[in-house]
Amino acid sequence: MKNFKTKIFIKLLENKKNFRIMKLTLIFLIACFVQVSATVYSQNTKFTFDVKNKRVVEILREIEDQSDFRFFYQREQVDVERKTDLNITDKTVEYILTKLFEGKGIEFDVREDKLILLKPVGTDLKKLDPWIQTHQQRIISGKVTDERNQPLPGVTVLVKGTTHGTVTNVDGEYTLTNVPDDAIIIFSFVGMETREINLEADNIYNVTLSQSAINLDEVVVIGYGTAIRRDLTGSVSRVESGSIRELAPTQLTETLAGTVAGLYSVQSSSAAGGGSLEIRGPSSLTASTSPLIVVDGAIFHGSISEINPADIESMDILKDASSAAVYGSKAAAGVIIVTTKRGEIGKPTINFSARGGVSVTTHDIYPYGLDPDGDPEDYLTMHRDVLRQNFPTRPYYYFFKPEDLPGDISIDEWMNYSANPASNPMDEWMGRINMYPIEIENYKAGKITNFYKEIINPGIRQDYNLSAGGATENLNYYWSIGYLDNEGIVTGDKFNTIRSRVNIDLKVTEWLNVGTNTQFALRDHTAVPASVGGLGLMSPYGSIWNEDGKLRKYPNDYSLVGNPLANYYEQDQYYKINTLFANLFAQFELPFGFNYRISFNPTFSFTKQYNFWSDYISGVGGKGERNDSSLSEWMLDNLLKWNKEFNIHKFDLTLLASAETNYSWWSTHYNSQFAPSENLIFHALQFGALPGLKDNDEKSTGDALMARLNYTLLDKYLFTGSIRRDGYSAFGQKNPHATFPALAFAWKISEESFLNISWLSRLKLRLSWGINGNREIGKYSALAQLGSELGWNTEGLESGVYNTTLANPNLMWEETESYNIGLDMGLLNNRIDISIDAYDATTYNLLLNRQLPAITGFTNIMSNLGKLGNKGIESTINTVNINTNNLNWRSQLVFSLNRNKIIELWGDYGNYRLLGEDHTGELPDFQNRYFPGYSRDIIWDYDVTGVWQLDKTEEAAAYKLVPGDYKAVDVIEDNNYRQLDDKKFIGYRTPQYRIGLKNDFTFLKNFTASVFIRADMNYLAPMGFLTGDQSTYDRRNVWGLGYWSPENPTNDYQRYAFPNNLSKYEGGITIYKPNGFVRVQDISLSYNLPSTAARYLLLNSMRIFANIRNLFTFTNYPGFDPESGMAPMPKTFTLGVDLSL
Amino acid sequence: MKRIIEIIFISLILLQVSCSDDFLKPEPLSFFAPENIYVNREGLEAALVTVRKDLKVEFYGPGNTQGAIAGTDEGGCAWLGQWSTVTPSGGGNVAVGLINNIYGYIKNTNVIISRIDEIEWDNQEDRNTILAEALFYRSYWYYRLVHTYGDVPFIGYELTNAKLDFYSHSSWTILDKIQSDMEFAVEWLPEIPKPDRSRPSKYAALHLLAKICLANTNFDKAIEAATEVINGPFALMTGRFGSDKDDQWRNVYWDLHRPWNKALAENTEAIFITLDRDEAPEGAKTIGTYTMRAYICTWWNSRVKDSRGLMGCRTRNPDGSNTAAYDTLGRGNPNVTSTPWFTYHVWTEGGYNYTNTPDLRRADCNWLDKHEFLYNEPTSPDYGKPINPNYFSNLSDTLICLFPAFWAKTYYPHEPTYTLHPMGGRSDWYVFRLAETYLIRAEAYYWKGQQGLAATDINMVRERSNALPVSAGNIDIDYIFDERARELWIEEMRKNEMVRASRIMAKLNKNGYSLENLSENNWYYDRVMSLVHWYTVGDMGYGKFDLSPHNVYHPIYVNVITANTMGVINQNKGYVGAENNVPPLNTIEKEEWEQ
Repeated sequence: MKNFKTKIFIKLLENKKNFRIMKLTLIFLIACFVQVSATVYSQNTKFTFDVKNKRVVEILREIEDQSDFRFFYQREQVDVERKTDLNITDKTVEYILTKLFEGKGIEFDVREDKLILLKPVGTDLKKLDPWIQTHQQRIISGKVTDERNQPLPGVTVLVKGTTHGTVTNVDGEYTLTNVPDDAIIIFSFVGMETREINLEADNIYNVTLSQSAINLDEVVVIGYGTAIRRDLTGSVSRVESGSIRELAPTQLTETLAGTVAGLYSVQSSSAAGGGSLEIRGPSSLTASTSPLIVVDGAIFHGSISEINPADIESMDILKDASSAAVYGSKAAAGVIIVTTKRGEIGKPTINFSARGGVSVTTHDIYPYGLDPDGDPEDYLTMHRDVLRQNFPTRPYYYFFKPEDLPGDISIDEWMNYSANPASNPMDEWMGRINMYPIEIENYKAGKITNFYKEIINPGIRQDYNLSAGGATENLNYYWSIGYLDNEGIVTGDKFNTIRSRVNIDLKVTEWLNVGTNTQFALRDHTAVPASVGGLGLMSPYGSIWNEDGKLRKYPNDYSLVGNPLANYYEQDQYYKINTLFANLFAQFELPFGFNYRISFNPTFSFTKQYNFWSDYISGVGGKGERNDSSLSEWMLDNLLKWNKEFNIHKFDLTLLASAETNYSWWSTHYNSQFAPSENLIFHALQFGALPGLKDNDEKSTGDALMARLNYTLLDKYLFTGSIRRDGYSAFGQKNPHATFPALAFAWKISEESFLNISWLSRLKLRLSWGINGNREIGKYSALAQLGSELGWNTEGLESGVYNTTLANPNLMWEETESYNIGLDMGLLNNRIDISIDAYDATTYNLLLNRQLPAITGFTNIMSNLGKLGNKGIESTINTVNINTNNLNWRSQLVFSLNRNKIIELWGDYGNYRLLGEDHTGELPDFQNRYFPGYSRDIIWDYDVTGVWQLDKTEEAAAYKLVPGDYKAVDVIEDNNYRQLDDKKFIGYRTPQYRIGLKNDFTFLKNFTASVFIRADMNYLAPMGFLTGDQSTYDRRNVWGLGYWSPENPTNDYQRYAFPNNLSKYEGGITIYKPNGFVRVQDISLSYNLPSTAARYLLLNSMRIFANIRNLFTFTNYPGFDPESGMAPMPKTFTLGVDLSL
Repeated sequence: MKRIIEIIFISLILLQVSCSDDFLKPEPLSFFAPENIYVNREGLEAALVTVRKDLKVEFYGPGNTQGAIAGTDEGGCAWLGQWSTVTPSGGGNVAVGLINNIYGYIKNTNVIISRIDEIEWDNQEDRNTILAEALFYRSYWYYRLVHTYGDVPFIGYELTNAKLDFYSHSSWTILDKIQSDMEFAVEWLPEIPKPDRSRPSKYAALHLLAKICLANTNFDKAIEAATEVINGPFALMTGRFGSDKDDQWRNVYWDLHRPWNKALAENTEAIFITLDRDEAPEGAKTIGTYTMRAYICTWWNSRVKDSRGLMGCRTRNPDGSNTAAYDTLGRGNPNVTSTPWFTYHVWTEGGYNYTNTPDLRRADCNWLDKHEFLYNEPTSPDYGKPINPNYFSNLSDTLICLFPAFWAKTYYPHEPTYTLHPMGGRSDWYVFRLAETYLIRAEAYYWKGQQGLAATDINMVRERSNALPVSAGNIDIDYIFDERARELWIEEMRKNEMVRASRIMAKLNKNGYSLENLSENNWYYDRVMSLVHWYTVGDMGYGKFDLSPHNVYHPIYVNVITANTMGVINQNKGYVGAENNVPPLNTIEKEEWEQ
């Protein structure tokens, strides 16, 4: 009976793997239960059989399964393949054997050790002895401990190749009976390195399990199914809930920035979070390169911010074509599979967590004169220098402040530079540098306004989550609700959301499960932030408020520079999005190993975005608009699965038929000139004088068929083949369908007997090939569309139309074909785990807005053209560096490199000029800066080497430039800057290397700490405003990055002047600055209350923690932050507590 | 039970597969497609609505082409006269990128022209009338293109596929083509268009045909067409009329240019106009003429100093509302500074000068002279006094801060509810006016050597404005263009007309000009240089003004050339890239509607 119970437990364990997590306490409880029940075993075990036409060997196996009996016989002598009927109730084993072998010339011998020998009648037992000897079954026992010599309860102990086994008890001890002499015993435990022991003479085996760098037995979610990590054929990365909860993220993208090899994510600077995602480089030139998100098996088209990170159990990132190909048309940019939390067997668990934090900027830049540590007069000095450049013919000291004049120039002389000097030098100077009345007033009063502080200031963040979950034999449930409220670091930037989730899985009968995974999110995007761009224009001598307490429209009195707080104070907004995403499923167990699942996934989204701009800022008697939009989607998936194992062959077949429909509705109405009052804002737009309305509805449909077969041979050779056929209505009606095949193979080399290297615990080779598609273009891109115009004449209105796009009935899917080779290695008992992948992906039939000469009347046409390549290497190294009683230190190093290349473009060949040379071949697209043979991210521009200095005046003049103008390499040295001759490839717009290093520490038992350092290296950022229009620089401010002047002959920035000489650079010029950075992105520390203390507080567990995001950044980027450019990036300090009841 | 389940799911799968062809058909919900609109007369008429509206970009909004072109002749200088910055890359001049827009309008006309015979017409007259109107607009745009850019590709049909192999056509070939197109249009456009003159009539077509014939050196045909207009139901306005007619201080020239007088039925001078009214709903009106932005000096600028040496003018009251001066004068930029030649010298005739000329066009009521701009800073001791340029830190600031305004043609106040920066409100606009028809016929007579007839026509225009008559002996091309400036500046695309005259002169090999070296030697350049001394005096404090003979044509926008990867669009000589030119095409195939 003991084995019977054990077996159930093991089965349970296997099922559990599907839910992946196994709580230590749970194992512990069950292990105790098993120990107690083991004593119930009785040799008088009775059996009941009612079988027809069953093989004898199966009956014997059944008896072995239900008892401690083991049968021994030689197949040549005993025919166990014979089929028979057996109908008995509560009979002993002797009775059954007599009945089975009656008249077959077979007798049996039940030995003391519960071994039953089957032999032909009259066989001499002595003759059998040597054979019995070699097959003698033994009882082994021992104790399993971890590296710190702590007993490990709940460790699975198995005879290799069988289901025969047990688990360790609370003291880590085990006893295993009926162990064959030549058996190999496997000790495995979640999170620990699995060990195999070859039996020797001894019967006591004490085993120490060490922590493994990664968990090979975890169940990884792949498309439409799951796989055990060690059996993966593709390239899949996983992020666990553990690393999510320490970050206090607003949305899941924040947990992915830099942490996963091959996944490129950029942090967002706004309160709503967000940021971009891209897997293995851009696979398209114009279609979306964001990965597909799958939530609990259902394709998710919504916003990532609808998913509460607190609900996430794990994320699996499918990177290679074979893994992703089951999603076919949507998978070219990779797939992120989100698995949400489930209930766990045992009593209901209630978790509560609270986080609070404050955000400040990572780095500050200031407009001139607004740096709190600087001199406000820097602003006036800047104007002085601009005016000197604008009016070079004026006397050199004309714009200087009187007290800054050199000794040899008298005030009188200086005053007389003007035909009509003011009454005193101060007024004269203020007039000369164009100070506005308010500036003069404030300057004279010594009043400085710190606009910076008004617009950028710390934001408070808070996040609360409550969840309840549990499971019984027939019901698994999880419910959660979370509230998050973020303030950005820009005044008025805020975001809050309430997100709730219900996951239910009900076993209705033995063959039917039904359930749902439903998420509901209320997101409040209402935020009218102050203008950071406007801050850059503010004078320190301006004023925010008028004397009468009203907001000052033009803080500097310059009527083209409005108040950066105007919208914050004068615009009303209501912007909320409510979304419901549900997955309703029924799963049927069918005969012959089949399993059928039908799931219906509806999505609803309702958005209200209402705005009202008061008369004060709109100037048109108030202006309001109400945008209402909604979205309704459904997807129906039919999934048929078949699992079968024949000896050394394992099959896993998945078939899918799917259909989807997406509708979106958008209506807006608007009005202006409100009377008698605008006080009702957007709640009553009917009171305006100029109403208008617009509607836009869209519909798309799609279908898919998919088949996948996983085949495993000898548990060493793993094959996956899949094929998917997709249809989508946006494509030209000649090609609505496309087919996406994939193949993969993996070889567990370390399982081979010829490979026996002591330090190499594991070695697996993975190869895959596949084709994926991209359909992310507008829903009507293949159709010619007409725009509409309103005409008016003395009889009234008339409606006009005009062609806006060209039709392309041949439009088809963009396809990415990719190869992946991967190597997984475990070293030193898997304490070091290395995973390396190299890939080569080529995208064909790029969906491109092909540029047309504007004289066609169209700017572009959506076409399939060209070829884009992405090659790369990525690796993940996990190590357990130290594992002692008081310190556990683990590291993860992630490295990714992607090289992108435009292989073919429009297919137009001829002669062209580039880099000062004549070329023959495929013509580049100069307008879009696409160059065949080069990366999509390459920067083609003038190579600016500095600024012309005063001692090079004559050389500069040859270019019609003057000192202070940018100086660039003149490749063909003809004293001209001509784009086709002188523009060079000067760098890349995206990081060329990405490195992430995470170190996790557990110390003093209850403390954990983690430090994550990220580096995005070797790329450049365009600084557009450096070469923008400078015609008003003498009247407003600009970000104070520096500029050239005779007194400050910098080589980094040009002079400020109007007109400047930028038009001497044919085709325009852009200045780039280094964008690479190394950042200490996350530091966290947490403390787990010891369980005794927690119990004292009537809690299961309690954890308090602190996290700092973006603490240090090392970069040469001159703007606010290398990730957010000219917008401030938050540095967030978070404190939190997690409670479990 | 299990059996039933199997049947259900197998049938579900089959259902999905079998219905997928129809299932995937795209379903446009909120937009029209060519297939369901251009199927009848109403569809093509809807396309015409857009075609008519396209013309408005010429006269309305910031950077409208009229304003941009006005800064390229002798009457005005665009901010700030530095033609060397006008390069194929753009260089900030709106007329460089204009080529893209114009071809967009031509595309809209071609949709109608190409599809005209895809419709079953009950009545061929309907077909021809719609076709004639589309041809009218297409010809208008090609006339503009030829005189802005010279040789350009002629596209005469709707493109339904990507095309990147364009070649330039000879501008003379294009003139031939649009001349014959306009002959068709003249035949079929209505004499009196419904509902108003914002649609082209037969006479508007004749006026355009006269200009095209003149450009094409078909002087007799030009005279013939112009004569038909002059003999038509039009007459120069000689008496007071319209909104301000009771204001004794004003005169008829002022009346002609009031915003809503242009469309009045009693205005017999208007041949073809555009409408832009405050009362039209959003989307059917523009944001205004921007004349007060483009042509008025920046009187409110901080450089406008008073006797204290401080700012003497203000745009806003302390409460943020506009000052009265700001609402009246507008936020002068100016995009175009009027030259002394236009503000003063061109009015010096027969012993009179601009202060005392009897010419109504230079009457005090039609101009704001420098002394009429007053300080409006209440705290200034000079409040209410004329702005004194001697108080400026630098006299050269008068280049932008203080110069006379041609008030009759630029004063278009915004509607009373408007509180934003005043830039020049809405107004109807003359596209073709009878005064120009006379001047066109006069020019045609001149080229034929018939100075007497030319003088008669010019005097028709002059007499209306009470200007002294000119004698036949004084008529030359310069006089004709002096008169065009007095009558039509800030109204027409003057540089196009100067280029037209330069081309005629070169084609006729007059005065030493020739077509071969037009970009090195032309009348346009010589005339501007001789009348606008700003180009020759050196740096006046705003950088050196410059103009070169090759600026007779604008450069072809470089992106037009580079995007056309399979063909060659010629660049104009003198600009970077002209070295890649190939000989232009000399034939245009007959279009389908002609066959």
